[in-house]
Amino acid sequence: MKGLLLKDWYMVWKYCKYYFLLGIVFFAFSIVEDNMFFVFYPCLLCGIIPANLLGYDERSRWMQYSGTLPYTRAQIVSAKYLIGLFAQTAMLFLMGIAQGIRMGMNGSFRGNDFLVIMLLLLIASTITSSISLPFIFRLGVEKGRAAYYVLVGLICGISVMMTGLFRGPFRTVIRPNLVLVLLAVAGVGIYALSWYLSVVFYRKREL
Amino acid sequence: MNALEIKNLTKSYPGFTLDNLNLTLPSGCILGLIGENGAGKSTTIKLILDMIHKDSGTITILGRDNGDGMEVAKEEIGVVLDEAGIPECLTVPQVGKVMKHTFRNWDAAEYARLTKKLGLPEKKPFKDFSRGMKMKLAIAVAMSHNSKLLILDEATSGLDPVVRDEVVEMFSDFTRDENHSILISSHIVSDLEKLCDYVAFLHKGKLLLCEEKDRLLAEYGLIHCTAEELKQLPAETVRYAKENPYGAEAMVRRSAVPDGFSVSPVSIEEMFVFMVKGGAAV
Repeated sequence: MKGLLLKDWYMVWKYCKYYFLLGIVFFAFSIVEDNMFFVFYPCLLCGIIPANLLGYDERSRWMQYSGTLPYTRAQIVSAKYLIGLFAQTAMLFLMGIAQGIRMGMNGSFRGNDFLVIMLLLLIASTITSSISLPFIFRLGVEKGRAAYYVLVGLICGISVMMTGLFRGPFRTVIRPNLVLVLLAVAGVGIYALSWYLSVVFYRKREL
Repeated sequence: MNALEIKNLTKSYPGFTLDNLNLTLPSGCILGLIGENGAGKSTTIKLILDMIHKDSGTITILGRDNGDGMEVAKEEIGVVLDEAGIPECLTVPQVGKVMKHTFRNWDAAEYARLTKKLGLPEKKPFKDFSRGMKMKLAIAVAMSHNSKLLILDEATSGLDPVVRDEVVEMFSDFTRDENHSILISSHIVSDLEKLCDYVAFLHKGKLLLCEEKDRLLAEYGLIHCTAEELKQLPAETVRYAKENPYGAEAMVRRSAVPDGFSVSPVSIEEMFVFMVKGGAAV
């Protein structure tokens, strides 16, 4: 699978480096601005990297060519999940540092709040690719991407609303750590389920 | 040992059926798949490589069933598809690095030799290659991992005649090792005629013929004659015949032609056209 990951790395470097440049710009904004948009947006954006790579694969007919190489369908799917996970983790780490700096500068750093934000980011960045990738492996890139854009809007809204709830009047009612830890665990479970579904769908797909 | 054995292979799509295909490619030989667009050549190749799922039949490739551990068999198979399929942003050295981590038996020195021999630029990304260059890179990859079987789908199309000749020569050299075999499909029947030991004619998903090329060329010939003369030929002599305003043309069994008729050689291309559309089977 190293060959697949290396090929995807070359493609990320060629086509997706602007996502990381954007991440650096948003890193700076999220330090000076108390606006969750600057934190969530780049993480959500990273969720689209595997879909973009699959788009380029489809255009260059790599999907067919990879079927002639000594890889299993599961390895081909797994490479996309791994490269996505790598990009999402890198962006999560970057935004986590930005949040830590901002909270530190404001003197408002609280472990609990920081954990809330990080868990929400983790959920948001994995859930999008979790849901979009099985569609893409089943239906192809165009239809899968359409599903993804709808989801990004929904998840952005829900994430901002949840952050508001945890900071607002429900703060005393909701036990954010427990709920979010459960959600994060569910997010990881959904990611694993998504990988499994993608493998099943891709095995059935005719190249 | 046979490099490839296909038995009763069937695959149906709406409007097309690859019908009960039987093919055998002995080790050390080259089998050419000849057929018009939509005849089922690419479908056959995809079925062999388990890229699409068969409805019924069996495929044994290098001694293994193709549904069982095909990724292991693919280590020993070099494939060139009609669209090369290499990512557009990659350069020749990057493709080499990816393949080094893909094939256990990757031969970096052979890859470097072939890419140099075929005149492939090192720094250009794949998207800037001409179609001919793209096919050449795919051929270099297919021949750089000590494959025992090459499966080539229209691999020579898009190449200029000089390079095509060079590539055909490379394929021919490849099968000097008796463990090496090639399955090749092409529209350019002259390439196949030059290269192949066996030819298989596919038409609308059906196998019309699979024979040793030299035997076909020795057995059959062409007669150009008048319509009256055609009628004088014994029925068992004429395989296919067609009449036109200027006379008649018949593909005949040389051994059964009566004295007095001049039999000229028939090419594989003429034979194929005859069988598909040229004349009525007699």
